[in-house]
Order: sequence, then C-alpha cells, then structure tokens
Amino acid sequence: MDIMHNLVTGFTVAGTPFNLLLAFIGVFLGTVIGVLPGIGPMTGVALLIPITFGMPPTSAIILMAGIYYGAMYGGSTTSILVNTPGESSSVVTCLDGHEMAKAGRAGPALAAAAIGSFIAGTFATIMLMAFGPVLAKVALRFGPPEFFALMVMGLTVVTSLAGRSMLKALFATLLGLAIAMIGIDLQSAVQRFTFGNPQLMDGIEFLVVAIGLFALTEVFINISEMKNAKEVSTEKIQGGLWLTKEDWKRFWPSCTRGTLSGFFVGGVAGAGAAVASFVSYGIEKRFSKHKDQLGKGAIEGVTGPESANNAAAGGSLIYLLCLGIPGSGTTAIMLGALIMLGLQPGPLLFSTQPEFVWGLIASMYIGNVMLLVLNLPLVGMWVKLLKVPEYLLTLFIILFSFLGVYTMNNSIQDLMLMVLFGVIGYGMKRADIPASPVILGMVLGKQMEEKFRQSMVISDGSLSIFFTRPIAVVLLTLAFISITNPYWKPFGAWLKGLFAKPSPEAA
Amino acid sequence: MAAKRIERTASVVMTAFSAAYLIGAYLMIPVPMIKQQIGPSVFPKAVGFLMLLFSLCNLVIQFKGIAKEDEARAVIIGAEDKVETKADLKLMGVIIALMVVYALLFNTLGYALTTILVFLAGVLVLDRKHILRDVIIGLIASFGMYFIFTKLLKVTLPSGPLSLIGF
Repeated sequence: MDIMHNLVTGFTVAGTPFNLLLAFIGVFLGTVIGVLPGIGPMTGVALLIPITFGMPPTSAIILMAGIYYGAMYGGSTTSILVNTPGESSSVVTCLDGHEMAKAGRAGPALAAAAIGSFIAGTFATIMLMAFGPVLAKVALRFGPPEFFALMVMGLTVVTSLAGRSMLKALFATLLGLAIAMIGIDLQSAVQRFTFGNPQLMDGIEFLVVAIGLFALTEVFINISEMKNAKEVSTEKIQGGLWLTKEDWKRFWPSCTRGTLSGFFVGGVAGAGAAVASFVSYGIEKRFSKHKDQLGKGAIEGVTGPESANNAAAGGSLIYLLCLGIPGSGTTAIMLGALIMLGLQPGPLLFSTQPEFVWGLIASMYIGNVMLLVLNLPLVGMWVKLLKVPEYLLTLFIILFSFLGVYTMNNSIQDLMLMVLFGVIGYGMKRADIPASPVILGMVLGKQMEEKFRQSMVISDGSLSIFFTRPIAVVLLTLAFISITNPYWKPFGAWLKGLFAKPSPEAA
Repeated sequence: MAAKRIERTASVVMTAFSAAYLIGAYLMIPVPMIKQQIGPSVFPKAVGFLMLLFSLCNLVIQFKGIAKEDEARAVIIGAEDKVETKADLKLMGVIIALMVVYALLFNTLGYALTTILVFLAGVLVLDRKHILRDVIIGLIASFGMYFIFTKLLKVTLPSGPLSLIGF
C-alpha cells in the first residue's frame, strides 16, 4: 500500500529523537499560549517562528503544527475552569463547560474536551492522509489562471468571515496586498514604493508586520486595561477526572457530529475553527437528545464544539499543504514561515518533498497523543499559569517580539517598522478593522500578482481567460458569493419593494 | 459618542491612505526598460482602486450614520472583541518610547544589557511592588535568552561591551 509506505517514511522522519522533542516542545508551548488569555494562537505562532530559524523545514513545521494544536487544546481548559476563553474558537465551550465546572463536574468536562479534540484531530489527520495526495494531484493540473482564481477565493472566504464589517475586512485584505507590493518587482527590476530606502528593496518581511499587528498590539491593549483588571476566580476540580458510563453514552454522538461538521467547515468550506465550533453548537441544539440541557452544563455542549474546532484546524492544514492557500490567520502565518524557510507549499509538495509532508502527518498523530497525556494530568499546572502577573507577561511579549524580528535580518529598521505596525495595529483594533486579512494578503500578494501576470501573458492580455476556463469560473463565482452573500437579503427586499404595489396598510 | 468619532476618523484615514497609495502607484513606479504584457504598476493600481472604492463606501456609511452591526453574526464568526477601554495615551507613549530606545540601543549595548535595562524600566513603569523578584526574573530572562539563542540555536545576537569580558 502506498499510504502505508508513506506513513512509515513519515514516522521515521517524525520519530527521530530531535523531532519528537520538537513535537513535545511545540504542544507544550502551544498549550501555554492557549491557556494565557493575552496571547492567541496567531501571536503565539508568530512569536515562536524565530526559534525555527536554522532548523530543517520539516522540524520547523513539526514545531509550528504542535503549537497550533496545543493552542486549540489549551484554550478549552480556561474556558471550562475560569470562564475566559483562551481564544475565539473556545468561546462556545464556556457556555456548558463552565456550567459543568460550577456543578462540580470540571473533571469530566476537561476529559470530554480533551478526548473529543483527540478523536477529531486524529480524524482530520487521516483525512489529510487520504485526500491530500488526491487533491494535490488535481491541483497539479492547475495553470496560472486557476491558481489566481484559487487565491482570490482563499482571500475572499477568509475576508468574509473576518470582523463585523465586510468593507473594513476587504480594506484590510487589500492593505495586505498593498504592503506586499513594496520592494523590487522581480519581473521588471523596477523599485516600487521603496522611497529609495535600500532595506525596503527586498520588501517588508511578513513577520515584521505579523508581530507588530498581533503581539505589540496586544501589548498596547494590555497596558490600557491593566488598571481595571479583575481577579479571576477558578473553579476547583472536584471528584474524578474520568467520564461516567452515562457521559460516554452522550459523548459519542456529539463527538461524531462535531468532528464531521468541523471537518466540513474547516476542510471543505475553508472557514476557521471559531466558525466550526459555533456551527457544531447549533447542530447540537437541534439534534442532541438532551438539547433542553444545553447551556445548563450538558456534556454535548463541550464535546461537540471542541471536536469541531480541532477537526477544522486539521482540515485547514489540508488547504495549506495541498494548495498553498491558508484557511485562517494562523495558517497564513505558518505559510509565511514556510516560505521564509525556502519551501513553497502547494500541490508539488507531495511529490517533491514527501518526507516533509508525511513527517508532518506522522507528527500530528504523535502530537495528538502527547496532548492527551499532557493535558489531563497536568491541568492543575496550566491553571496556575493564569496567576502570572499581566505586566510581566506584557514585558515578555515585548522581549520576544524584538528578539524574533531582530534575528531575522539583524536589522534595526525592521524593529522600528515593527513598532510602527504595532501602533497601526492598535489603531486598527480601536476602529474594529480586522488584522488577520492583512497577513493573508501579504503572504499571498506576490504570488497572486505573478499568477495574474502569467495568465495575462497566456491570454495575450485579455481578461477573458478567467471566464472561459471552467475551474477558474467556479472558483471566482464562489469568491463572489462569499463576499456578496450578506447583501443578498437586503438587496432582495429592496427589489421586492421596487416591484410591489404600494399596499394600503403600508401607506 | 466616542465610538462614532473613532469610526469616522478611521474611515477618513483609510480613504486618505488609499488615495495616497493609488497616486503613488501612478507617479512613483517607473516604466521598465523592457515592455511587458502587464507592467509593474498594473497590480498596485488595481489594488489602490479597490481599496479607495471600499474605503469611500465605508466613509459614506459612517458619515451618513447607516452603519449596521450584526452582533449575532460577529459572535458566530468569532470576530475579536471590540476594545472599549479608554486608551491610556500617556502610558502608551512611555511604552512606545521604551520600544524605540530598545531598538536604538540594541546594537550598541548588546542584546543582554539592553534587554535587562528595558525590562527593568518596564517594571518600574508598570508595577513596582515586587522589584527584587522582577530583577531576578529579568536577569535570568535576558542572559538566559542570550545564551539559548547564541549558544544552542546558533543565532547571532549583538554582544555589545560585554564581548570585552568574553561573552
């Protein structure tokens, strides 16, 4: 069997002591990041990228995937025990998880979250293994127009799900593209927006922007809120950790529903883990046998969403690896990091770098097992992390940001730019402009332009090439739907109003 | 209505930036020597146009006061929480200044020394109740990170005057 052979390759790569250690460090740091309320998975991955400089790409992605996974796990722990979600994908977990903890059932809640996540994560990994190579094979036949359309779709899907205002999200995406244009244009050797500054000729590193927009913005928010910080009260874990027989009976159906719906949302629809968890909660509300208890501490309300967000996280890795398109802010940062390491994620990856892909897949299995072991017995330790004073945490974010950006190019100008983006990021946060589309636009910008230009060369300068190739048409249509759908209802109502006869009641 | 003022200011800044970018795309990108199907300025112009279009729409919506917010949808897609706390501009200014100083001294004083100085300054500004503990944490963090990165991960960091004593 091909897959078996590949898996063996993968486990040989991931099973080296060094890579095992990295997987462990990854899930450990990831859990820390997930538990700490100030640092989300995006900030965490961005801050820790510098550690991977000098590592082979496979080891680097093993570490990063571990962080990504760990952050998903860690977020649920604080949701349940403290009622503060570590990140957006575990917001729903608070609803029933914290109720369970208050009723003295914190143990089973934590166990259900961890086991559900484990099952979902494993499922997503198996799917990646089964469908990844197939998808990559299909994508190998893509020409520049299809890739351009694919990137447009990737951008619009993420944009449509970022923030309250579509206009602001679109602006943010374009801002990312605009920043990506800075530097020497490789095809014509012309300088664009460099203002004669030699260090800008290579463009602005995405990490400078990412750390500025996420980590330093976080610093500014923390120091403004420090004065009115409130004491956190943690629920004690009483009784056993393990699930009762009755719990298990209710666990399986909700875990299955959560895993499948989460995988669909993340791996097929391309949306992120937060959406997946909400979709799953909605499904539980409709189909669960105990829907009347949801919101009052039902185990389904923990299992479903927690399975869903991990399945979605795994699903979006499929996009990243097979197509080179990130499905979320965190995977966008990972994509940027891989490009920095000299790898080009995309359909070719499976055939040119099998040990990389399969090593990652194997390490995902290993990481999932490690998380399960790490999370349940050590839960008390994670909760203690919440006692770290906020000002120290803030100062450490500053230290890590500077260290990370400096080690990239040894450039002081990069540090200054990072601070500038930190200030911009804070302004954007106040104005409620989402930051993750900026990163996505930046990471995809150069390639998007390249594919666009290649398409134009093929078609001899005619835009019709995007409307005559079926795959490109489908992708662009999906892109159009994803950004226009919030406006359909009002538009339809407006049309109706236009044609409707004025009724006597309305007058 | 502070929120409204922020929204309006932001929409003006967004529009101004988009316009500046678009003008830059027209004026600042030279024509390459070799003729190309799609020159280096086409994509930036397109980006600039779209950016200006969307920010103008946003501007109109904000100033006409017809901006609608669907909180239910925001929760479902996991939109980040809004920051409502009033910004402590003075404290922010101090921290920004500290960051700039950090960047400027980075090469001259070396990583470990600059880091411990900035860390301690940060402690003094933010919370000075546990000075002794924080000094110890700062020392371990700055020198520890220096050693981990330079010796274990083989990443070069400036050593500054400490190189005189064999760092």
